[in-house]
Amino acid sequence: MTFKRIPRVGIGGPVGSGKTMLIEQFVPLLSQIGYRSAIISNDVVSKEDADRMRRNLASERGLMPESLVIGLATGGCPHTAVREDPSMNLSVVEDIESAHNKELDLIIIESGGDNITTTFSPALADYFIYIIDVAGGDKYPRKRGLGIETCDLLIINKIDLAPHVGADLKIMERDAKLIRKDKPFVFVNCKTGEGIKEVADNIVKDVLFDLPPKINKKLNN
Amino acid sequence: MSTRFSNKLGRIDNINTNQHADDTSTSGDSLLNEVSMLQLGDSFFPTGMYTTSSGLETLFYDGKIKSKQDIIEFITVCLLYQIGPADCAALSNAYNFAKEENISKIVEIDNILFSMKLIKEIREASTRSGRQLLNCVLSFVPENTLISSYYNLIKNKTANGIYPVALALASNGLHIKKERACLILLYGFTVSITGAALRLGILQHIEGQQVIHELKPIMTTVIHNNLNRHFSHLWQFSPSIDLVQMKHERMDSKMFIT
Repeated sequence: MTFKRIPRVGIGGPVGSGKTMLIEQFVPLLSQIGYRSAIISNDVVSKEDADRMRRNLASERGLMPESLVIGLATGGCPHTAVREDPSMNLSVVEDIESAHNKELDLIIIESGGDNITTTFSPALADYFIYIIDVAGGDKYPRKRGLGIETCDLLIINKIDLAPHVGADLKIMERDAKLIRKDKPFVFVNCKTGEGIKEVADNIVKDVLFDLPPKINKKLNN
Repeated sequence: MSTRFSNKLGRIDNINTNQHADDTSTSGDSLLNEVSMLQLGDSFFPTGMYTTSSGLETLFYDGKIKSKQDIIEFITVCLLYQIGPADCAALSNAYNFAKEENISKIVEIDNILFSMKLIKEIREASTRSGRQLLNCVLSFVPENTLISSYYNLIKNKTANGIYPVALALASNGLHIKKERACLILLYGFTVSITGAALRLGILQHIEGQQVIHELKPIMTTVIHNNLNRHFSHLWQFSPSIDLVQMKHERMDSKMFIT
C-alpha cells in the first residue's frame, strides 16, 4: 500500500511565543474555505496544548475529529524531535497519511517551545513557520538564529504589547527585512486575530498551491 | 562497487564500498561491519528512543528512584526480566529466520513479541522505532529485498514492525553478527534510560557513563542467557514495572512517551 504525502507545516518558536494560539487562529480560517487539517503537538512536559486545541477546535467547533489532534512527548528534547531525529513525529504523520489521505489537506506539526536555533527537518515539514513575540524585545530579529533566518514565514506576535515593553515595530520590520532578505514576515496579534488572514493566505499559496480542498464541503465554524 | 569522490582538497579515487571485499578483520568481523554496528548502536541513529523512559519518569516523580544505584537496579531488572528473555531472544530468532529469508516466521516472531508487550505506550513506541529504523536502513541498502518485503508488510498492516525484529533484519542486512545485534539492542535500551535519568536530573553526566560501565556485565550475561532461546520460550515477568508503565500512560504531565 502506498499513500500520497499530505502537505505539512512545521511551527516552531520559543516558549510562550504563541504557537498554539496561532494554530487556533488560522485553522478556522482554512476550514472556512474547506481545508481540513490534522495537528500534532509536541509538548515538552505536558499535554496541555494538545488538550486545549482538541477542546477548542475539535470538541467545541467541530473543525476536525478529536483523534486528529495528537499530543506527542519529546523526552525533553523538543528540537531533536523535529530536526535531528524526527522519527516519532514521522511515524505519527505516516499513521495519519495512511488513514486520512483522501480527505486531509494539511498536517500541522507544532514544535515544543524552544530556542532561536530551532529548524524543522525537511523530511518532516514542507514549510516552516517560526514565531517570536515583541515581548522579547525589538532586538529579536537582529539577533538572527536559524529559526528566524531560515524559516519560510516569520511571524512576530503580540504587537499590541510593543508600547508596553518599549519595543519599536519599525526596528523589528527593518531588521526582519534585512536578515530575511525577500522572505516574508507578518506582524500579528493572535489574541485579536490581526494579521492572521495573511498567515492563512501564505499557507494556501505556498503550501497548498491554491489547490481546492480535497473534499469540497465546508466544515462547521 | 567503486565510488569516486572529489572535494576541495583534491580527488580521492576508487573508494571501495563493497563490504565483502574489505577483509581487514578483527576476530573474523570486517571493520566495515563493525562500523555498521556502531552506526545502528549510536544514539545519533534516528529511532526516537530518546523519547522513552520505560516508566522511569513515573518512578522519579513518585520519589522511588533517586540515585545512581537506583538507576542501575531499574535497568538491571528491565534487562533481566523484560528485554532479555523477550526482546533479545526475539531478535535472535528473527535474525536466524532472516538468514533463511523466512518472512512468515519473521512475522510470527513479530506478532508474538508485539502481543507480549502489555502496555500500549511501550508497544506503540517499539513499533514506531522499528518502522523508522527500517525506513532509514532501506535508504542506504535499498537492494535488501527481505527488509523491503517486511517493511511493505508493516505498511500493509500485516506486520507490526516491533523494534527488536526490525533490528534483526537491519543487522542481518548490514552483515552485523547476531551477538552484536543483541548488544546494540541492550546497549541502546541502557543508553535511552540513562539519558532519560540525566534529563530528569537524577544523574549527572559522569555518573551516566558509570552506570553504562557497571551494566556491561549484565548486558553480556543477558545475551549469553537468551541468544539460543527458542521463540516458543520467550517470556517476561516484571509485574511491578508493568504497573509503573501503566501508571505512566495516565500521567497528565510528562516529558517521555513511555
